[in-house]
Amino acid sequence: MHKFQKSALYRIASRSLRLPLALVIGGLALSGCRMGATDAATRGQEVFETCVPCHNSDGSGNAAVGAPNIAGMKAWYVEREVDKFRAGVRGMHFNDVEGMRMRPMVLSLASEEDVKAVAHYVETLPPVPHGSSFPGDPKAGAALYATCGACHGDTGAGNQDLGAPRIAGVDDWYLATELRKFRSGVRGTNPKDREGRLMRPMARTLANEDAIRNVVAYVETLKP
Amino acid sequence: MSTHVEHAEPGIFRKYFWSTDHKMIAMQYLFTGMAMALIGGYFAYVFRMQLGFPNQYVPGYGIVTPGRYNALVTMHGSIMIFWVAMPVLIAAFGNFLIPLMVGCDDMAFPRINRLSYQIFLLSVLVLLSSFLVKGGPFGGAWTAYPPLSAVGSYNLTPAGATLWLVAVALEFVAFLLGGINFTVTTMNSRAPGMKMYDIPLVIWMIVLASIIFMCSAGPLIAGAVMLLFDQTMSTGFFDPTRGGDPLLWQHLFWFFGHPEVYVVLLPAMGIVAEIIAVFARKKIFGYKTVLYTTWAVGFLSFVVWAHHQFVAGIDPRMANIFSITTLLISVPITEMVFLYIATLYGGSIHLDTPMLWALGFIAEFMVGGVTGIFLGSSGTDIYLHDTYFVIAHFHYTFVPIAIIAVYGGLTFWYPKMFGRMLNETLGKIHFWGTVIPFNVIFIPLFITGTAGDQRRVYSYALFAEQSRPALQHLRLTSTIALLVMLSFQLIFIFNFFWSLRNGKSAGANPWRSATLEWTVPSPPPHGNFAVMPTVYRGPYEYGLPGGADDYVPQNVPDQAFGDQNS
Amino acid sequence: MLERYLTAASTYAHWIDYQFLLIAVLVGFWLIVAEGMMFWLIFKFRARDGRATQYITGEETHLKRWITIPHILVILCDIVIIVPAILVWYNIKQVMPPADETVRVIGQQWAWSFQQAGPDGVMDTADDIRTVGELHVKVNTTYHFELMSRDVVHSFAVPSFRLKQDALPGRTISGWFRPNRVGSYDIQCTQMCGIGHGLMAGRIIVETPQDHAAWLLHNSTPAVAGQQALPSPSTVGMDGLATMAEVRR
Repeated sequence: MHKFQKSALYRIASRSLRLPLALVIGGLALSGCRMGATDAATRGQEVFETCVPCHNSDGSGNAAVGAPNIAGMKAWYVEREVDKFRAGVRGMHFNDVEGMRMRPMVLSLASEEDVKAVAHYVETLPPVPHGSSFPGDPKAGAALYATCGACHGDTGAGNQDLGAPRIAGVDDWYLATELRKFRSGVRGTNPKDREGRLMRPMARTLANEDAIRNVVAYVETLKP
Repeated sequence: MSTHVEHAEPGIFRKYFWSTDHKMIAMQYLFTGMAMALIGGYFAYVFRMQLGFPNQYVPGYGIVTPGRYNALVTMHGSIMIFWVAMPVLIAAFGNFLIPLMVGCDDMAFPRINRLSYQIFLLSVLVLLSSFLVKGGPFGGAWTAYPPLSAVGSYNLTPAGATLWLVAVALEFVAFLLGGINFTVTTMNSRAPGMKMYDIPLVIWMIVLASIIFMCSAGPLIAGAVMLLFDQTMSTGFFDPTRGGDPLLWQHLFWFFGHPEVYVVLLPAMGIVAEIIAVFARKKIFGYKTVLYTTWAVGFLSFVVWAHHQFVAGIDPRMANIFSITTLLISVPITEMVFLYIATLYGGSIHLDTPMLWALGFIAEFMVGGVTGIFLGSSGTDIYLHDTYFVIAHFHYTFVPIAIIAVYGGLTFWYPKMFGRMLNETLGKIHFWGTVIPFNVIFIPLFITGTAGDQRRVYSYALFAEQSRPALQHLRLTSTIALLVMLSFQLIFIFNFFWSLRNGKSAGANPWRSATLEWTVPSPPPHGNFAVMPTVYRGPYEYGLPGGADDYVPQNVPDQAFGDQNS
Repeated sequence: MLERYLTAASTYAHWIDYQFLLIAVLVGFWLIVAEGMMFWLIFKFRARDGRATQYITGEETHLKRWITIPHILVILCDIVIIVPAILVWYNIKQVMPPADETVRVIGQQWAWSFQQAGPDGVMDTADDIRTVGELHVKVNTTYHFELMSRDVVHSFAVPSFRLKQDALPGRTISGWFRPNRVGSYDIQCTQMCGIGHGLMAGRIIVETPQDHAAWLLHNSTPAVAGQQALPSPSTVGMDGLATMAEVRR
């Protein structure tokens, strides 16, 4: 009886710790092989982990927290806006609730290289289709879109030379929210926000909430 | 004993996973707790690396983003308290020691005992599964203050938050079942002759801890259910826009949370009492006084909870009352520590590894105790609340409890558990390699806390006052000391497994101890006692004048020894 | 003592610093005595051949003294600590000296925003100055703050002022501070508030009256104030505060 008990305790002891031990030692050994990112693409993917809690690992965003779909967004635009957040040009308005959530997160990026790396990683993400979150009249919106098309292009593909991002394929709720922010001065009032200051008078040509909904509904029909 | 007749050899599954033997269940708790300690230690390694080397690639993990950092500290705290300290200190030692030390063959409810471990294992699996869900594990701190913990769009880990909550609730169920068992066994299954004041202190402490736990867990379980409803059914118990109150959770949580400190402290104090008595060859100084102070601590622990909430927005007048009760609780605890120190007087102190751990516990715990005064007095808490001063303070209590006292208990009862002695030299190297780095980890953190470092912050880059180079050097010192301390744990793990096979054979009573568990073979057979013992005296009869040996076991009749102690 | 580690920049910082020093001296004394006693006993009664252990139960009155006397002394020390602790607490948290100025402090995930009266000296008018992440105050002026939260529990902490107060959603919590040293100091959030908790930094800038007046004037020009004060249709919530719940709708 004595012997049996002894062996039982011994065996459970040795068995139950063998695996975790092997894992720990193996993990430490493996980790020694790689001490950090070697190229910008890998670094971009690593840094993108910072964005994942809100924007999701596929970049599809999360309307509940005001995080837009960023999958496939052009790197130049991501980089420019991230830099604006970092400099306090965006996300510093008293009523910009989402902006104030975004700004500290981009401040956590350690360097300008990381910003570039993550911007390029975002561009490589395959676009994720999304549904529409509110009704609008695309026909009525088409007429209003003429103002937008001047910079963002007839297909909404954007124009880097004019600093106008692609808007086709962007979440409708996000477009509407940002248009409202431009209209009310929550965005586009900072003296250093060159593009925002151009955008603000344009947004103010939209007379009311219906106009915003209609023009966004039209943008949703565009194929990027 | 009559129920335990010789069984046919059970199958592997029945023997290891379906056993009702208290010793096997103790081993299940012990090894689960130790495995969880490895996970919790790994998390500490990762986030200390981030603090020591901000934004660098952490070997074995990757880069630590702000969100991951929060999850790491949350899981480290939850795991170390709920899944390491509780199972090891209360469940493992309680299960192993109670029947052996009160002289019975098994727990009063062996199958409830088995159920307790199974629910505990389930809680572990639920917790670990939260690492696999979208968003990852919960990152809202182990205190889980709502609305952050209640609303998915605030914490960004909706699934992880719910799984964490369910895991904690399951873990509580396990320990409520265990607590019932410990209390009933100790009250009803004691060997004939063992009076209340003949019960070894460690058993008293585990039972009192279980009772404190059972009394305090109710409000938190109620709170957990409300929080679960808030998370999953959009109720508004903690939502101020719908008539709820976030402060309600804080009260419910800390009504449990502060007694919880004593739930884990008391078993550790008990373990230390046993070790000190044996290795100083001394009766515990004022056994009854120790017990009275324990009861006083147990009672007072229920009226101090709001000292965690001085600046939480409660009525400021409340702080005065809780400040007074908090300083009051220092009195019985101080007295308990004084009694332990007084026990050393006139002894014959053998500095074997278990004794080193026990003395180390007292020396380190005193630092934790006195720094609590800074936080308990409301005036200074305004500044120190939620700084690294708090972190350093409670690690100076929790590390002695959950690490130092546990190592003391393990090295002390290892011969009883496995029938062999641990290697003494490795044990001493491990002791010094743990205790010295432990101080080097946390003394710098007292200073950074005093300089204003706030808790749960993944990088101080955005805080000008906190990113002074001097403070970063202190953080780095702390990180390096942690690496040293963690690496010395490998020595213990090696010693543990090497000695299972190669240790000296222990015999029944290698430490010449007087309590009942040392009267049976090591490891104890199924059913524990070949002949059920009768108890004739208290547990700490060491240094009796005129005796043949310097101690008298509890089960030796008086006449056999000459009746000096009647 | 605390000032060795961090500047003291408000009137009550020194009260807390003295309280800290008092506790440090008292508990430091006890710690040294107790640790010293323990190590001395370990050394004195180390195991030696031929020395018997003494049999002491600890129930004897003449021995209990060794516990009872320190016990009473500990209680005395507790009283010496608790009385000033409560006094400090009372003066910082329970009573508020009359205000010279009032600021509104609003926490949200993960920024501090501030509202204070413009040149007209009245809150909630068109020339109010609203800032994000930066609070400008005048030196030697008693400020009352009204602390709110838009979403979760935050904690408004200015270590150099020794100021800390949790912000609770659904409540307005008042407090005060009186900066007495010109400079720029950290604002922290010290309550876990989500993934950006460690990034929720702000600055509090204590200015001379002249500098502060200039800042006020510059920031309350009708153009700037008009734009900033305009409520955004998408984000106006309770008390003019946008909440995340509101934004989602």
